[in-house]
Amino acid sequence: MADRKAELERKKLRLQQIREEKKRKEEDRKKKEQQEHASKGAPAGGSSESELEKKRKDADELLRDLGLPESGPSTASASAIKTTPSDGGAQVLGASPQRKAKLSLSSVSLSGFPPKESISYSKETQTPVETQEEHEDEDILAETPEDNPLLLPNNQSQRLKKNLQNQVRINGRGEERIVHSEDFVRFLDRSTRVIERAIAEDADIFVDYGGNGEEDGEGERDAGANLSQNRQFFDDRWTRYRTVTCLDWSKQHPELLVASYSNNEESPHEPDGVALVWNTKFKKTSPEYIFHCQKHDIHTARTNNTSALKQDFTLTYRKNCPNWGDGAKNSQKHLLWSNSPLGQSEYQEDPVQRTPLSAAAHTHPVYCVKVVGTQNAHNLISVSTDGTMCSWSLDMLSQPQDCMQLKHKQSKPVAVTCMTFPHNDVNNFVVGSEDGSVYTASRHGSKAGINEAFEAHQGPVTGIDCHQVQGRLDFSHLFLSSSFDWTIKLWSLKHSSAIHSFEDNSDYVYDVQWSPVHPALFATVDGMGRLDLWNLNEETEVPTTSATLDGQTAMNRLRWNHSGQQIAVGDDEGRVWIYDVGEGLAQPEEMNGPD
Amino acid sequence: MVTGWEKVMGPIDLSKKSNLLSNEVEESLKRIQQMKGVIGIIVINAEGIPVKTTLDNSTTVQYAGLIHSLTAKSRSTVRDLDPQNDLTFLRIRSKKHEIMVAPEKEFLLIVVQNPSDGS
Repeated sequence: MADRKAELERKKLRLQQIREEKKRKEEDRKKKEQQEHASKGAPAGGSSESELEKKRKDADELLRDLGLPESGPSTASASAIKTTPSDGGAQVLGASPQRKAKLSLSSVSLSGFPPKESISYSKETQTPVETQEEHEDEDILAETPEDNPLLLPNNQSQRLKKNLQNQVRINGRGEERIVHSEDFVRFLDRSTRVIERAIAEDADIFVDYGGNGEEDGEGERDAGANLSQNRQFFDDRWTRYRTVTCLDWSKQHPELLVASYSNNEESPHEPDGVALVWNTKFKKTSPEYIFHCQKHDIHTARTNNTSALKQDFTLTYRKNCPNWGDGAKNSQKHLLWSNSPLGQSEYQEDPVQRTPLSAAAHTHPVYCVKVVGTQNAHNLISVSTDGTMCSWSLDMLSQPQDCMQLKHKQSKPVAVTCMTFPHNDVNNFVVGSEDGSVYTASRHGSKAGINEAFEAHQGPVTGIDCHQVQGRLDFSHLFLSSSFDWTIKLWSLKHSSAIHSFEDNSDYVYDVQWSPVHPALFATVDGMGRLDLWNLNEETEVPTTSATLDGQTAMNRLRWNHSGQQIAVGDDEGRVWIYDVGEGLAQPEEMNGPD
Repeated sequence: MVTGWEKVMGPIDLSKKSNLLSNEVEESLKRIQQMKGVIGIIVINAEGIPVKTTLDNSTTVQYAGLIHSLTAKSRSTVRDLDPQNDLTFLRIRSKKHEIMVAPEKEFLLIVVQNPSDGS
C-alpha cells in the first residue's frame, strides 16, 4: 500500500513537471510563432505540434499505468501520428483539408419505402401429414416452445400457440357444444363399442409357450365337464331386480343373444320393459344394444332373420294397468325393433313399429310370438291368453292379416301360454294353456282352430317344444311340455296320451327345449335354479347331468344356441347365464344303425 | 288410458332418433374408464385438440399431439398403399401400455390401457 502511495506521489510530481514544462513550452512556442510569423510563415508549426502530441502520449501512458481511462485523442490518431513521426510536412498537408471542412445547407428529398414483406405459406394437403408436424410434436414434447424459437419456423410456433389457445377455448365453452352435437354422439357410440370389444379381448398375443409349462391342464378339466358355467350377463342399471322373461339367439349372428326383462318393481321410474342384446363373442360385460319402452312389460323376444340386410327383434309386451283384474282394460302390443346396419343405435329409444290396441287384435296379454315361414315368405304369429291368434306381416303391424279365436269344442276359449310349430310346418301347431291342457291346432283349412286336446298337466303349461332335429328318422311328431306340476312330459302328435313323464324335479318346471343337434337331448330349468340335461338314450328317470345356481334363484327361461353347444339361461334376478355343454354330450354319436 | 303414444305408427323418421343425451356420453366414457386396466380416455377433434379427457392437462396435450400426428401418418400410409383403403383402428402395444385409437372423420378416441392388468 505504501509503495503504491509513493508511486502515486512520484507520478503526480512527474505530471506536475510535465505540465509546467508544457506551459513553458507553450509560452516558448507562442513567442517563437510570433517570431516566425514575422519572419517566414506557417510550416514550422508542424514540428511543435508533433512534440505536443508526444507529450500527450507520455501523459496517457502514465495514466494507463495507473489504470485510468485515457484522456485526449483516441489511440487511433495517436498511432497515426506515430507512423509519421518526423514527416511533418506531409502530415500538415494531409490534415489541412479536414480542418477546413465547409458546412452548408442542402435540401434532402424524403421518400418512403414500405418494409419488406416476408410471405409465408401454410401447407394444405388432403392427407395432413407434413414433416414439419414432427417438429411441432417435438416441441410439445419438450414443452419449451419459447426457449428455442429459433429452432422452429416462425409459423410453426405460432400455430402451436394457436392450438394451445384453441384448446383453452374448447375446454371453456365449446366443449358443451361439441359434446351435444349429433356427430359427436354418433362417433362416440360407434367408437366406444369398438374400443370396448378391443379392451375386453384378453388373448395374450405375446404368450410364450416354449418358456414355461404352468398353464396346461385347464383344457383337460373342461373337456371332462359335461355342463360348465361359461359366463354371466348382468347390467347393474338395466337388469337388476328384473326377471328374464324370454331369450332368443340370432340366426344371422350366432353370437348375439336377445333377452327380455320384466319390469323393475324397486324403481318405478325406470322403463318397465327392457330388452338387451348381448354378445357372447367378445368378453365385454355391457350389452350391445338396449331397447326399452315405458309402462310395458316385455314378455317375449325373438330375433327374426328375414333378410340378409335386416336383423329385427320382435318383442311382445303388456301394458300394466292399475285395474289388472279387468281384462278388457289391458292392452297388448307387439314391438318390432329393427336393427339394420344402416342405422344402428338410432333405434334405442322406441320401437320401429308397434301393433295397435284394437278389438280386431289382442286385448289380453300375449305370451307367445313366433315368426314362421321361409326367409322370403313369413308371418309373425301371436297368441294371447284369451285365445286370439293373429298373424301379421312384419312390414305392417298396424293391423293383423288374419285373426282367429282358439276355442275348445266351440265354447271354451283357450288361455294360451306357449306355442310351438313342428319343424317345417306353418299350418299345424301345438299350444299349452293355463288350465294344464295341451291342444293341437291348425291355422288354415277345413279344420282351422283347435283340433285335439291332451289332458296333460295338473298346472299351467309353462313351456312346449316340438322336436326340430332332421334325420333319417322323423321325430317331428314328438314334443315336450313342462308345467307347474313339477313334471315334464313327452308326447307324440299321433297318440293322445303321454309317452313318458319325467318326474325328477321338486319345483315348478319353467321351460323345456330340445337340443337343435342331438335328437335325444333336451334341457329343462326349474324354480330351484337347476338346469337339467336329459339324454333319452342313456337315462329316462333322472337327468343325465345337472347344474345348479347358488342361492335362492329360480331359472325362468332357457334357449339352446344354434350349434347346440351352449345354453343361455335366464333367472329371476336379471342375470343371463351361458352354459357350455361338453362335446361328448352335445353331439350325437356316429351311428351305424340299420338303413 | 289410451294416449297419443298408442297411436298407430308407421316407420319413424330416423333423423329424430339420434338424441343420445350427454349423460349417456358421460356414461359410456365412464363405462370404459371402469374397465379393467384402463388408464385414461381422450377424445380429440380433427385438429388434434382435446375435447374430452380423463387424464391431466399436460399428459392430455402430449398424447393428443403425438397420437394425432401418428394417426394422420398411419392413415396416409394406408391410403398411399391403396387409395380405396382407409384406417379404421390403431393399436400400439408397448412394454408398459397399450394405446388404442379409434379414428373417424371428425373425432378420434384414444384409450390407454395397461394390458397386463387387463388379462
